[in-house]
Amino acid sequence: MATRAAPPTDRPPGDAGPPLPHGRGARRVYARAGAWRPRWFWPAFAAPGMAWLVVLFLLPFYVVLAIAFGAVDPLFRTPVPVWNPVQWNPFQFQLLFDRVFGPDGFLGPAFVRTFIFVAAASALCLLLAYPVAYYVTRYAGRRKGLLLVALLAPFWISYMMRMLAWVNLLESDGMVNRLLVGVGLLGEPFPWLAGQPVTVTLGLVYGYIPYMVLALYAGLDRVDQRLLEAARDLGASRRRTFLLVTLPLSRQAILAGLVVTALPMFGDYFTNDLLSGSPRTSMVGNLVNDAIASPGQGGQAAALVLVMIALLAAPMLGYIRSTGQASREAGR
Amino acid sequence: MARMSRRAFLSRSAATALAVSGGVLLSACGNRDETGAAPGAAGPQLASPDNPVTWPVPADAGRIADGLEPEQGGTLRIYNWAEYLYKKVAQDFEKKYKKYDVKVQISTYGNMDEAVAKLRGGQVAFDLLFPTYDYLGKLVQGNFLRPLNHSYIPNIEQVWPAFQNPWYDQGWNYSVPYTIYTTGIAWRVDKVKDDIAAMANPYEALWDTRYRGKVGILDDYREGIGMTLLKNGITDLNTGNQDHLNLARDQLVELAKAVRPRVNTNDYIDLPESKTWITQAWSGDMVNAQYYMPKGQSADVMRYWFPSDGKGPVNSDLIVLLRTGKSPVLGHLFMNHLLDYDVAVENMSWNGYQPPQNKLNPSELVSQELLPKNLETATVLPSYFDTGYRYLELPGEVDDRWHAAWQEFKAGA
Repeated sequence: MATRAAPPTDRPPGDAGPPLPHGRGARRVYARAGAWRPRWFWPAFAAPGMAWLVVLFLLPFYVVLAIAFGAVDPLFRTPVPVWNPVQWNPFQFQLLFDRVFGPDGFLGPAFVRTFIFVAAASALCLLLAYPVAYYVTRYAGRRKGLLLVALLAPFWISYMMRMLAWVNLLESDGMVNRLLVGVGLLGEPFPWLAGQPVTVTLGLVYGYIPYMVLALYAGLDRVDQRLLEAARDLGASRRRTFLLVTLPLSRQAILAGLVVTALPMFGDYFTNDLLSGSPRTSMVGNLVNDAIASPGQGGQAAALVLVMIALLAAPMLGYIRSTGQASREAGR
Repeated sequence: MARMSRRAFLSRSAATALAVSGGVLLSACGNRDETGAAPGAAGPQLASPDNPVTWPVPADAGRIADGLEPEQGGTLRIYNWAEYLYKKVAQDFEKKYKKYDVKVQISTYGNMDEAVAKLRGGQVAFDLLFPTYDYLGKLVQGNFLRPLNHSYIPNIEQVWPAFQNPWYDQGWNYSVPYTIYTTGIAWRVDKVKDDIAAMANPYEALWDTRYRGKVGILDDYREGIGMTLLKNGITDLNTGNQDHLNLARDQLVELAKAVRPRVNTNDYIDLPESKTWITQAWSGDMVNAQYYMPKGQSADVMRYWFPSDGKGPVNSDLIVLLRTGKSPVLGHLFMNHLLDYDVAVENMSWNGYQPPQNKLNPSELVSQELLPKNLETATVLPSYFDTGYRYLELPGEVDDRWHAAWQEFKAGA
């Protein structure tokens, strides 16, 4: 706002005048020069993004709402969206509420399980990714680029393929069991794929850890080296420097990493489908997937999605608030 | 993969069934349906062997006249479950009607809901659809089907008499039969030491904790709950009795805890690959399973059990003609083609599912190498359709309760 409202540049339109300054000072002048462009010029840059958001997020979101509060086609049992909010029927939410909290609240365990899996997997991601990101930013030196490429390499292969590879490795007679039995860590092969919560959790860690590494790397790379030097100059040990300077400064990166890994984990269903396939490890994503595939249950699927969004909105808002606060502090 | 999704939905769709022809039911779905844009449905009854249904054929339903030539340069658009039709069978049809310059185009769906959604969208004018019989009423009621002109389909004579006038479509006004199959239990003799078939109640083997992590259950709410009902001697596989459903639900939840089953429709892959040792299975899938055996291993370790007295789940799939199709004559002719003995057998040699052909002697499936000796029990006998149990259309309200029970199992409560 301030820039747009700023008075026009020091030269009237049409006046060629002396050449504008080059180099460091030039950027500011050009930025102010933006003021004589039409008012819509800069906001127009946001248009593609806004269009994307409206078409691919807001509209589909409304469809989900219309289905969750909608009806069911009595002949084909397909969900019938109801577009007019006045006619919305909260039946699906009552049903879902009963199924989670009611006396026969059979969906409760899946919710609890999902939160446990995601919490454990996110924590593990953080524990594993932090040292890696720390090493890359501080000690990788000229190999930084190479290491980053190596870290991104798993992204080149589809998530599904990576999980299928694990299925082979984790078979009863797979490499993992042969190795563990071979070195004597296990007496007999462990049934990794037989509905084990630990396998699903590790699968989530494996699947989403690159996001965590990248988020942490981006944050740690921005930490001002001079602050670390100052801490050391003032007599702090390496350990104290890390605990009192690096770690607090990377708080935003940690939060960002947790958000970008945990949110998709909450919706994940194929990790469980591929690595377990057992009801014993069903997550909320599986409930949604099953409901979508079941005639007449489309409304339940939509309600589940909305409830998850509501549950996840809280930490998301917390994150936004925290980043806002952090940038205000940085600006002070 | 395709086949699995196909099977997955066979009975899933079965349950979606609504009382197309049944007056009672719509009120049951009350609170959710009142705002729904419901096609006017309300017929008299649900089709069942005890309650055969003749679907009405309105005068304007578009039945084609006798003796029409096939559409010149026409394209026959087939909409089918993935991997359920041998391509060669379609190519042979093209050759047979070469002088009309005919093309067969196959599109596939993963489940009946997907298929119906696309049909309702109406963008593609398909000629033939391969639904499960429980979907027939809905398709008729929803005005999707074109009644058949029998003069084009003389090969109906080749199928079992029961399918020439089936209870779900008396007078076969709208459908011809495609394949038949049973649901039973399959296991590996090299892993499971007990003789499952000799057990007093083979269904109990699926609860046996010795096979923890190696048990497969079909991801299909009708089959899963139905199997549990049968284990308890309850033979009404379309029950609305909540006590029965609760019993099945509790035992399934117990099963999930005790043996951590794999719940999917990969029975034909998981068993040969030893991912499961014992699994609920479809007969046709087990015939296929032999081709999924890892290299160097013999498929003769697999066995399939279906009650020898024929008292188990038995079902069938159909072929119907869609009203939107542009090549109705070719559609009729293709139905006739698939009902031909040689074509039907060739198709089975590829997809594993038995056609109800008179000339196909069930006791000779093994000698004809359509079935391996060790899976002879996957044969579907005509008598099974007298003794066996079927998953019929359920009223919406009952269907919801079946779903709720199954959801509880799947959620790992």
